[in-house]
Amino acid sequence: MKLTGELDLNSPVSSHSVALNLRKGERLDVLFRGSALFSALLVFVIIVAIVVSLVIGAWPALQKFGFGFLTSSQWNPVTQQFGALVAIFGTLVTSAIALLIAIPVSFGIALFITQLAPTWLKHPVGVAVELLAAIPSIIYGMWGLFVFVPLFADYAQPWITDHLGDWPVLGMLFQGPPMGIGMFTAGLILAIMILPFIAAIMRDVFEVVPVTLKESAYALGATTWEVTWHIVLPYTRVGVAGGIMLGLGRALGETMAVTFVIGNAHKISGSLFMPGSTISSTLANEFTEAVEKLYSSSLIALGLILFLITFVILALAKLMLMHLAAREGTRS
Amino acid sequence: MNRDSIDMLNDSTFVENAMVNEHDSSAHTATVRNFQSPKLRVENLDFHYGKFQALHGISMDIPEKKVTAFIGPSGCGKSTLLRIFNRIYELYPDQRSSGRVLLDGDNILSRDQDLNRLRAKVGMVFQKPTPFPMSVYDNIAFGLRLYERLSRTRMNDRVEWALKKAALWDEVKDKLHQIGTQLSGGQQQRLCIARGIAVKPEVLLFDEPASELDPISTLKIEELVSELKDDYTIVIVTHNMQQAARVSDYTALMYLGKLVEYSDTNTLFTNPGKKQTEDYITGRYG
Repeated sequence: MKLTGELDLNSPVSSHSVALNLRKGERLDVLFRGSALFSALLVFVIIVAIVVSLVIGAWPALQKFGFGFLTSSQWNPVTQQFGALVAIFGTLVTSAIALLIAIPVSFGIALFITQLAPTWLKHPVGVAVELLAAIPSIIYGMWGLFVFVPLFADYAQPWITDHLGDWPVLGMLFQGPPMGIGMFTAGLILAIMILPFIAAIMRDVFEVVPVTLKESAYALGATTWEVTWHIVLPYTRVGVAGGIMLGLGRALGETMAVTFVIGNAHKISGSLFMPGSTISSTLANEFTEAVEKLYSSSLIALGLILFLITFVILALAKLMLMHLAAREGTRS
Repeated sequence: MNRDSIDMLNDSTFVENAMVNEHDSSAHTATVRNFQSPKLRVENLDFHYGKFQALHGISMDIPEKKVTAFIGPSGCGKSTLLRIFNRIYELYPDQRSSGRVLLDGDNILSRDQDLNRLRAKVGMVFQKPTPFPMSVYDNIAFGLRLYERLSRTRMNDRVEWALKKAALWDEVKDKLHQIGTQLSGGQQQRLCIARGIAVKPEVLLFDEPASELDPISTLKIEELVSELKDDYTIVIVTHNMQQAARVSDYTALMYLGKLVEYSDTNTLFTNPGKKQTEDYITGRYG
């Protein structure tokens, strides 16, 4: 082939320029790899740094109270007696209430958006859910305290106490004066707050289910519910669990909104309508007053416990999913 | 080529008549076979994706317990037609059909047709193997549980029966409780066929069932199709003309949403009635 133009495309590239380009590429590659590695390691460094500083800060309290710090429900700045049980209890209970409410509602929202909604309604509902996530938590707190709490105290709470209060065992959860504030209210506000996260993730993972997979279930004569429950949900199990864990992580650590509505009492109560406190609400409320070393050290120890709870729950979730995956592979 | 399609030519159960397609008489004429008691009868079927018309006045009969193949270039409407037979297109709001499709004389396009019942009668196997995210056993049992309450032993029997029917039993009998997605591609597709058979449908629709499989798996699927026609009416869409020639008793050629020619497979491939058919099967377009 003969080329007539000025540029002879057939001539080989000079070996010099190739080598030059290669060297340049190699240098960039090393740089790129280095920066990627640095970013990845940075995560570990930050985690370790946080844990170390928490442990150092919490050390005086842990030394003084030992294991008893976890099991004592005393929280008395005057006598300098501190125990984390009330706060741990409140944190776990409010988060559990939040999940109990948020999971089914999120599932319903995601199911509606991905499987049921007419096309024109999909987008508005999706945006509305995302907007819910965009509301700052302090707004939830204010709204909760000034709007929701009075309504709840006047209408919902008396009704619930009247109708469920007499039930054996379950009724104990709904006793007490209708104050509006308390652990149940905190859990409810938390549910609203984590709902958009769980719903958004459920929606996203539901959307990636292959169309042909759904069609083949429909082709067998399955209904929308059967397709969602037996095909879509198992297919997206990992993603759904991830979304729930994200919501739980947020619920455990949420501070402002809870502080507004939980009542901040250092007391464990059998009724969900009674005030309580969570780890984060205690921290938010009391750091300004904690002038004594043992007091502030106890608060830091609470923070460390919150960190550990979150860590353990996430680890358990991961283990559970791995176990599920392994069982499917080998069960026979 | 099927051994009995030659006999079919002389069979008195159907009358061959070159009929002018009523709906679209000027554009083309299609050879429509009228069977005395067709499993499926399509009458003046139009289909729209939104504003785009994908099928134009299709009329044809599909005989019982035979394999009927649809061939044609991509976008000719053959898969669209197949997806009407179990009304799976209804999942998408902008898709609509008009005309009639009679299954044993009942119009399945009528509004009061129970879709779940229709789909119990008309099973479908898709292009890509789509095992459900559950065990091999449950993949089969899933469909059964939708319709029947079976005791454990009867369920076991039924699963075994379906897997044997789909020529898969020997390969999976020791891994019934493994998740279905761990099987090979060909096994997955046969699992999907078994799943379709398990609910005992009357019609099985295959939408290019072997186009993503290797040659050996393809061969197995084709053998399976030939065996299944003893019990089921089979409609298969394929872009592979050799496959249509190998497995089907009747073949329909479609082009641009219209039925070009429909006759028994032997005739269509060896002595096509139309220039267009001849051009297509000899590879001159498509």
